[in-house]
Amino acid sequence: MSGAARSLPVVHSAPVDHAAAAAAFNANEARVDWHDAALWFVREKRDRAVEEVPEWELLRELASNIKEHTLSRLDEYLVAFESAATANGAIVHWARDAEEHNRIVHDILVSRKVRHLVKSKSMLTEECGLNAYLEERGVDVVDTDLGERIVQLRREHPSHIVMPAIHLTKEEIGETFAEHLGTPAGLSDPTELTAAARVHLREKFLAAHAALTGVNFALAETGGLVVCTNEGNADLGMALAPIHIASMGIEKVIPGANELAVFLRMLARSATGQRLTVYTSHVHRPREGQELHIVIVDNGRSEQLGRKDFWRSLKCIRCAACINSCPVYRRSGGYSYGATVSGPIGSVLTPGIDLHKYAALPFASTLCGSCTAVCPVKIDLDAQLYRWRQIVVDAGLVSVTKQLVARAGGRVLASRRLVAVGSMLFRSMLRAFPARLLRRLAGAWGRDRELPVPPRESFSAWYKANRAHERGGADDVA
Amino acid sequence: MTSRDVMLAAIRAARPAPVERPDVRARVSEFVPHAEAVFSFIEASEVAGARVVKGRRAELATLIASVYPAIGRQVSVLQDLDAGSATALPHSFADTDVFVCEAVLGVAENGAVWLPLSRLRHRSALVLATNVIVALDSAKIVENLHDAYAAIDVAADGFGVFVSGPSKTADIEQALVIGAHGAKSLTILLLEE
Repeated sequence: MSGAARSLPVVHSAPVDHAAAAAAFNANEARVDWHDAALWFVREKRDRAVEEVPEWELLRELASNIKEHTLSRLDEYLVAFESAATANGAIVHWARDAEEHNRIVHDILVSRKVRHLVKSKSMLTEECGLNAYLEERGVDVVDTDLGERIVQLRREHPSHIVMPAIHLTKEEIGETFAEHLGTPAGLSDPTELTAAARVHLREKFLAAHAALTGVNFALAETGGLVVCTNEGNADLGMALAPIHIASMGIEKVIPGANELAVFLRMLARSATGQRLTVYTSHVHRPREGQELHIVIVDNGRSEQLGRKDFWRSLKCIRCAACINSCPVYRRSGGYSYGATVSGPIGSVLTPGIDLHKYAALPFASTLCGSCTAVCPVKIDLDAQLYRWRQIVVDAGLVSVTKQLVARAGGRVLASRRLVAVGSMLFRSMLRAFPARLLRRLAGAWGRDRELPVPPRESFSAWYKANRAHERGGADDVA
Repeated sequence: MTSRDVMLAAIRAARPAPVERPDVRARVSEFVPHAEAVFSFIEASEVAGARVVKGRRAELATLIASVYPAIGRQVSVLQDLDAGSATALPHSFADTDVFVCEAVLGVAENGAVWLPLSRLRHRSALVLATNVIVALDSAKIVENLHDAYAAIDVAADGFGVFVSGPSKTADIEQALVIGAHGAKSLTILLLEE
């Protein structure tokens, strides 16, 4: 079957309304402040960890180069990885999309009569909707990362790729545990709640028939998988279960251990401000008697690779530094993006998957560039967001009002005379009309802002009067 | 065509213009070394939540006993104590109180120790044990991860892990909790010969 013959008509689900979801999140101001502060706390830890590495900028450069090199020969690296991994005793599977990935995993489980699966954190399986797929088919799936277990018990999804339960308070988690794990009502101490989860999940680890892990890096030269966790949950899963399934996107492969060092020095520092995750495990062979399956998944990635303005987004190592840094994310929450990966990186990845559904996300940004500045692999996130906006507008996927305003704005800004007339008009309006009316005219911008005090004259007039003699005329400034 | 063929063809058609492979070893050799390695290692280990105890190799048994008085089940690869055969069931270490092993090397910049399978004997013991003690020859501390990977064969033994500190989580309101799923404590015995 050819790729083209397989492609189905795209069925659009409802577009994500980021602004509306953000407004709902903003209804509780105290909570927004708390969410904002929690993420900024992580960002500050990142800054301290980065400052102690004098060669940080060199590492970023190197990391970016390595990823661009690997992506430019991705097919060769994947084949090399497959052949080394197979020689090591792993079974490698290839999945074009989410459906095929889920089917492969389910087939492995069914043919070995597995009913209990423990999973460590894997945003890829979130993206594929694996849990729902397996549960519908009678497999008991337990997420074992504490944050993921919390949201799983609540029938929610992670709101952040590194800290899945960052949107919840300890009191809410206490209620969830009281209901599902039998902890005393009212218990909200993080240490005691974590201890309860440890006991609960230890049983699951010991009873599991199979463990599924994500993959942080795949080494082409030696056919190895690198899995990073702080909790030790991936290691408990794969050290105990007779079957280990590792799901990875095609972009996870890197050449080898020398390159790995570059990324590992940056990943934890960027993610949580740690110098390294507690457990950084290198799996080359299954345990004696264990089966190791590696599922390599495309699911839209090769298409993104072919987009000249966006292929560099595939350099991402999922540290979430851009997410923690984003002033919009911190004040709108992960759910407002309606996608597995949120924040700036999510907003450049998702429009490529479904432009109609995610048309709003490139606009969920102030284009401040903070994301680009912290990205350890130097993805030009703000430039990509800006580029997606152009594509969204060209596709006619913004509101009529926005189209008209943008068109009129473009016309005005292109003409020196119209800018001068317009500025004069605005200055007069600021003086003549009541603020309440002007605020309404200013739309969302005016809702929570003070309007500026109108200057007495335009900059152009001021320049003419005061500086014109210095440079021989004010014609260069509007 | 198989999915493999379809995917590889799609990638080949999509891949951007060739980008040269950077010479990582040459580039990282330009990095200026940090402060004294043993000192940095101890500091980084402690920041990661480990306890570091210095001692002499000849006093190993006494050191271990002083860190964890012999209560409960001790599994020691280092002393060949209750470490089971290579074919022991991984689940058989579920009730381990103290697991003792020796690292191949330590990394000054992050306080991590490298534990390949031959040093662990069983992958499960490291994460099932409540407390973990790792011996490390203080002469085997390297500056950073670049030097670490240059010194080890990452694929040897089929499994290896860098461990820095006891298991931890901050998934509940960013409050740091030591002892998530794996070890609740990690002690590094930094040994002089």
